Amino acid sequence: MSTVTVAPQEFKFVMFDAELTRRVAEDLVASFDIHRDIQITIDETTPLARISVQIGAGADDPIVVHADSGAFEDTRRPRHQSETATATALGRVLHRAGDRLHGGFGEAPPDDDLTLAQMAAWETYSVGRLERHGIAVHRPRWLYNFRNRHGFSDAGDVAFDALWSSDGLTWGELDSISASAIATSQVASPA
Amino acid sequence: MRTFFPVEELARDRRFTRITINDRMSDPRTLGGRSDDAVEGAKPKKKNNNNRLVPSRPDASDAARGLMHGIFVGEIQALEGAGRTCHDFAISNIPGSGPSGADSDPLSGNTVPFALKLDMARQAWDEARHVEMSIKLSNWMGTEIGQFAENTVLFEAACSSDPVFRLAGVNRALEGLAIDVFTTMKDFGDIAGDPYLEFCEDWMLADEVTHVKMGSDWLRRVTENDPDRRKKALEFQNVVDKLFSYSGTRSESEESPIGLARRFRELAGFSDAEVDDIAEVSLAALNERKDSVAQMRAAAAKQLSEQLSGV
Repeated sequence: MSTVTVAPQEFKFVMFDAELTRRVAEDLVASFDIHRDIQITIDETTPLARISVQIGAGADDPIVVHADSGAFEDTRRPRHQSETATATALGRVLHRAGDRLHGGFGEAPPDDDLTLAQMAAWETYSVGRLERHGIAVHRPRWLYNFRNRHGFSDAGDVAFDALWSSDGLTWGELDSISASAIATSQVASPA
Repeated sequence: MRTFFPVEELARDRRFTRITINDRMSDPRTLGGRSDDAVEGAKPKKKNNNNRLVPSRPDASDAARGLMHGIFVGEIQALEGAGRTCHDFAISNIPGSGPSGADSDPLSGNTVPFALKLDMARQAWDEARHVEMSIKLSNWMGTEIGQFAENTVLFEAACSSDPVFRLAGVNRALEGLAIDVFTTMKDFGDIAGDPYLEFCEDWMLADEVTHVKMGSDWLRRVTENDPDRRKKALEFQNVVDKLFSYSGTRSESEESPIGLARRFRELAGFSDAEVDDIAEVSLAALNERKDSVAQMRAAAAKQLSEQLSGV
């Protein structure tokens, strides 16, 4: 049974709920078959929406998530938390952590070394699975992100569909789909 | 049809959520990079203070979507503002041509030339087209109408009882900001290879330059024999410019997401000295914001460290 901790417990800059965050994370961890403790730290001093994850090297080390407050924010009500945004943001990074832990992603570079295209491809693969998990996601948002990183082409959209609808990919398969989309896009619209 | 429509009564359906300028200004967070020093155990990263909205930014897609929605609601308010200015004032030298047959605004006695009304009507037509384009672009970028809160300060700047203030505050300050925003988005679309964004932004940018030019021309003509009124209007423009530089969102510093489009501002009738002033005000706003946030950040970092270490 994984334990989820959230810091800070009380917020000064935003009206967030640490307990809500913990509950959302616990649901995801149970569904994703992750058996490590989770430490979530929220930087409430910035409205940016970055979120990152680190997996401890030891088998018992926790998964550490750092999130800017914008990652969990309700864009309709600034400084308030959105449960859907929280689930989507946490789900993306926990899926990525789960992929690394469950195998098939041993060759994947560390997160900081992923290219923007590789990250967009992995995000697509993760969010597609979140949708099938029942979390409300807006598919066109992620299609636009994928297009920005892989080019605006029909072949790129086919690659997006493949990633979105897949389960059980390996890093090699995911990276190959991403690289092919970029190559096809460059052929379609030479500089 | 009544004149001087209050901002609270603007027509919006339930998809929209409104916030005030006070809500926005009271948000203590800053657009600066993550304060890694505030997070114990965070992996140190290279310092990068470049927040300009470019595709190479990791969060570029979402940031562009948010800005596009801001443009969309701004266009709605610009349409409403130009329409109000077209309607709210009597025509100079034509008695009884004002709303409800008035000779002039009952409070201020203001009137406007008929040709100014025609320009405002043309602007309202342009803004209506921009609203439609912004909806389609937002849809293309994966954004739903109302997905981001609407700040109504643009319309509020269009509520002055003096039409010259409206020209200064809306046409010169806010449409000037639109020039900066559209230039940033146009460049974004160009670099990203987006087949629609660059084209549409360029089209709208041309209109915005025209709107600013109309504001500059009418401000000069209407106040030709009234230097005091012109001075006050330009002071109002400076206030609006500063208001829209909050958080340093727009400045020539690369820490600001939106740059200052000097060339297009020049085409719109701004003098070099005026653009220099706006650049200075914008940079000052950025620095003020950074200074005021630094202390709050330090306090938050201390609190977080204490919680993480179990103190």
